[in-house]
Amino acid sequence: MTKNKVMMNMKMLLLIPVAAILTTIGCKKDDNNNNNNNNISFDRGALLTNYADNYILPAYEDMSTKLTELKTKIDAFVASPDVTKLTAARSAWQTAYITWQAVDLLEFGPEASISLRSYFNTYPVTISKLDANISSGSYDLEQFGNKDAQGFPALDYMLNGIGSTDDIIVGYYTTDAQATGRKQYLQELAAKMLSKITEVKTAWSTYRSTYISSTGTDAGSSMSLTTNAFVLYYERYLRSGKIGLPAGAMTGVAAPTLTEAYYTPALSKELAVAAMNAVKNFYNGMGYSNNIDGMGFHDYLTAIGTKDETGKAMATVISENFTTATSSLATFPATIKTGVTNNRPQILEIYQQLQSIVPLLKVDMVSAFGISITYTDNDGD
Amino acid sequence: MNINRFLNIKSLEQPAHSAALAVFRLIFGFMLLGGVVRFWLKGWIEELYIQPKHFFHYYGFEWIPHLGNGTYILFLICGISAFCFAIGLFYRLSAVLLFLSFTYIELLDKTNYLNHYYFVTLVLLLMIGLPAHVNLSVDSMLKPTLQKRFIPAWTVWSIQLMLGIVYFYAGLAKLNSDWLVEAMPLRLWLPAKNDLPILGPLLNEVWVAYLFSWFGAFYDLTVPYFLLYRPTRPYAFVAVVVFHVATSVLFPIGLFPYIMILSAVIFFDDKDIDTIAMKCKNYFTILPVSTGSDMFTFAPKWRSSLLSIFVVFFVIQLLLPWRYLLLPGELFWTEEGYRFSWRVMLMEKTGYAQFVVKDAETGKTIGVNNNEFLTRNQEKMMATQPDFLLQYAQILYTHYQKMGIKDPQVYATVYVGMNGRRSRLYVDSTVNLAKEKDLFRHKTWIIDYKDKIYGL
Repeated sequence: MTKNKVMMNMKMLLLIPVAAILTTIGCKKDDNNNNNNNNISFDRGALLTNYADNYILPAYEDMSTKLTELKTKIDAFVASPDVTKLTAARSAWQTAYITWQAVDLLEFGPEASISLRSYFNTYPVTISKLDANISSGSYDLEQFGNKDAQGFPALDYMLNGIGSTDDIIVGYYTTDAQATGRKQYLQELAAKMLSKITEVKTAWSTYRSTYISSTGTDAGSSMSLTTNAFVLYYERYLRSGKIGLPAGAMTGVAAPTLTEAYYTPALSKELAVAAMNAVKNFYNGMGYSNNIDGMGFHDYLTAIGTKDETGKAMATVISENFTTATSSLATFPATIKTGVTNNRPQILEIYQQLQSIVPLLKVDMVSAFGISITYTDNDGD
Repeated sequence: MNINRFLNIKSLEQPAHSAALAVFRLIFGFMLLGGVVRFWLKGWIEELYIQPKHFFHYYGFEWIPHLGNGTYILFLICGISAFCFAIGLFYRLSAVLLFLSFTYIELLDKTNYLNHYYFVTLVLLLMIGLPAHVNLSVDSMLKPTLQKRFIPAWTVWSIQLMLGIVYFYAGLAKLNSDWLVEAMPLRLWLPAKNDLPILGPLLNEVWVAYLFSWFGAFYDLTVPYFLLYRPTRPYAFVAVVVFHVATSVLFPIGLFPYIMILSAVIFFDDKDIDTIAMKCKNYFTILPVSTGSDMFTFAPKWRSSLLSIFVVFFVIQLLLPWRYLLLPGELFWTEEGYRFSWRVMLMEKTGYAQFVVKDAETGKTIGVNNNEFLTRNQEKMMATQPDFLLQYAQILYTHYQKMGIKDPQVYATVYVGMNGRRSRLYVDSTVNLAKEKDLFRHKTWIIDYKDKIYGL
C-alpha cells in the first residue's frame, strides 16, 4: 500500500461520520413520532416492572381469590349436596375458569417448573381415569398421569357433565354408591388448585425482584422468557387449543370433543374471548384490574419503530389484528362445540384470523425485540 | 508493504522470520483447543450432535456418517490434534488430523454453520502445507536439523491474504442499502443491549446505529491494509481489539471476536516477533527458538505444486462469494449463494414455518409439530433457508411414508421477516416440497421479494 492510498483512506475516515450524520438527518423525519418518549419506551426495566406489579401479581392474587371462593362453594356443596349449592359451586367454577384465561399466558419464571396449565386445564378430561381414582380412593394428583383427571375440565365434568339434570347430578353426590368417594375427589380437586396457585404466588413474591432486574434480551432474560411464554401460549393453547384443534383446521375433520369446557358448551366461546382479551391487554401493557395503560410489548415495539410496507407501525398492525379476531370470535353465532361442525366456514375464517397473528408475533415482534424463539443458548453469526 | 508484493513472484521467496508463522500456529492451535473444551463443557456436543433426531447435511455430503456417542471421540481427536498442532508435535500429522476432525464436525449439521468455523477450516487447510513447525515447536526440539529461522515470505502472506479476504469481503457485503441507508439490522440489535452500563443509553439512538454500521463497513474494508502498513499497524491493531471486543459484548457470537483478534497477530512484523522470541530464549533457554540464518526451502517439485494449489485455492476464494450474481432473486431473501461468502452479522431474518403432510389417496391432512423432528435451533434455521426447507420436507416424507402413507405430499406455509420489514409469505404453499430438488439453480417456488435492496 502506498502512502497516497493511505492518505486517501484517512480522508475517507473523516468523511464517514459526516456522511452518517447527514444520512441520519435525512432519515430523521419518520423517527420523530417516537423520539419524545424514546428513553421511557425503550426501558425494559419499566416494562418488566409494569408487567410484574400491574398484571402478574394482581392476576395471581385474583386467581387465588377465585379459587378460594370455589373451594368454599365446593366444600359447602359437599357438606350438604343440593341443587342450590350445586349452582353456587358451578358459578364459582365458571368465574374462576374465566379468570384463568388471563393467567394462562404467564407460564414462565416459577411457573416454568410448576406449570399451572397442566394441572388446571388439561382437556379433554379422561373420565375413565377420574372414575377409577374415585373408586380406588388412592391417587396422587401431583402425578403426571393424573393431569387429565383434574383441574377445570374435571370439575366441568363433575359439576355439569355427570348427569343430564341438576337432580341427577346431585344424586351422584348423595344416593350414588360412590357418593362419598366422589365428594372427597371433588374437594381434593379444588384443594389441589388452591395449593398450586398458592405455590406460584409464594414463589413470585421472591421472584419479582429477579424478574424486574433481568433487563437483558438473551435467552434467559425476563424479556425473552415473557415473550416466549406469551407467543407459545397464543400459538399452541389459544389458537390451536381453543379453536384449531376442535375445528380440525389442520386435519379437515372437526373434533368437538376437544372443545374447552365441553360439558358447558355455552361457556367455551366466552373462555376463548376472555383469552383473546387477556392476550390483547397483556400485549398493550394494561393493568390486570386497574385498567391503567402501562408499558407493554406494544409500547416497546412502537419505540423500536418497525413498520409495514404502507408505513403503519407494526405495533398497531398487531393491535388491529387482535381486535379483528376478538370481535369475530365474540360475534360467532354458535357455541364452539356445535359450531365446529355447523358453522364450519365461519370457524375456519376465525381460525385464519387467529393464525394470521402468529407470524406477526413469532416473526415480526420477536425479531424486532432482538430476542429469538429458542431456548438454546448458542452462538450466532 | 505493497499489494504488488503479492504478485511479484521473485519476492515470494524472500526470507521471512519463521517465528511469525510459528507464533500464529501456537495461538491458533491453543485457541481451537479452547474452543473444543468450551463446546464440551457447555454440553453442546450432546445438544447439537447427539440429541437431534435429524441433521441437515451440506450439498454433496449426505454420506457423512453420524457417530452418536462416538462424536465425543471425534471431539477428543480434534482437541488432542489441536494441542499437538499448537506445540508443534508431529506437525503435519496433527495438522491433517485437526483439519479432518474439525471439518468432519462442521459437516455433521449445517444448522451450526458459522462463518468463523468455515474460516478455521480454510486456515487449517492452508496450514497443512506450510512450514509452521520449523521454529518454536517440539518437532524442532526432537530433530534440531528442522530448526530454521527463515521461511519463504509467501507462506506468511498466504495467511494474511486469507484474513484479508475475510475482512474485505465482509466489508463489501455491507455495501448495501439496508446496512448503510437504513442502518439495519443494527438498528434492531443495538437497542436490545441498552441495559449495558455506560454505553447502554446511547444504543437507543438511531444515529449510533448509523455510526456503527458505517464504521463497521469502513473498518472491514480497510483494516487489512492498515494492518499491513507499518506506520498504521499499532493503531489498526488497537482498532481490531476494540472492534471485536465491542462485538463480543453486543452480540452472541462466541469465539469469533477472539479468533479475529488473535489471528491478526499474523500481520505483525515477522522481524519483531523474531526479536521477541529471541529475548524469550534469553530468559528460558530451553525454548526451541530457531537461531542462526538457515532458511526453510521446499523441494522444487513440492514448491510448485503447493503454490499451484494455493493459487487455485485463492482464486476460488475470490470468486465464490460472487456466485450469487449468477442467480436471480434477492440474495438476502433466497440465500442462494449466501454461505461461504463472509456475510457476517449482516441481517436480521426470522421465520415461521408450518408444514402439513397430505395423503393424496385418502385426502387426510396432518399438521406437523416441528419440535417432534427438529431442535429449536434447527427449526430456526429451517424456517428461513430454502435448502433447509427442502431437506425437512424430505425428512417428513420419509417419516410419513414409514407411517403408512404411500406418497406423502408436503406443503409449507412459511413467513419470513427480514431487517425489520413486515413478514411475508416465503414459499408457494401449493408446491409439494417433497418433489422439489435442491440444485444449484434458482428455486422457483420461493416467492419473489417485492422490496429491493440496493448494492452488492
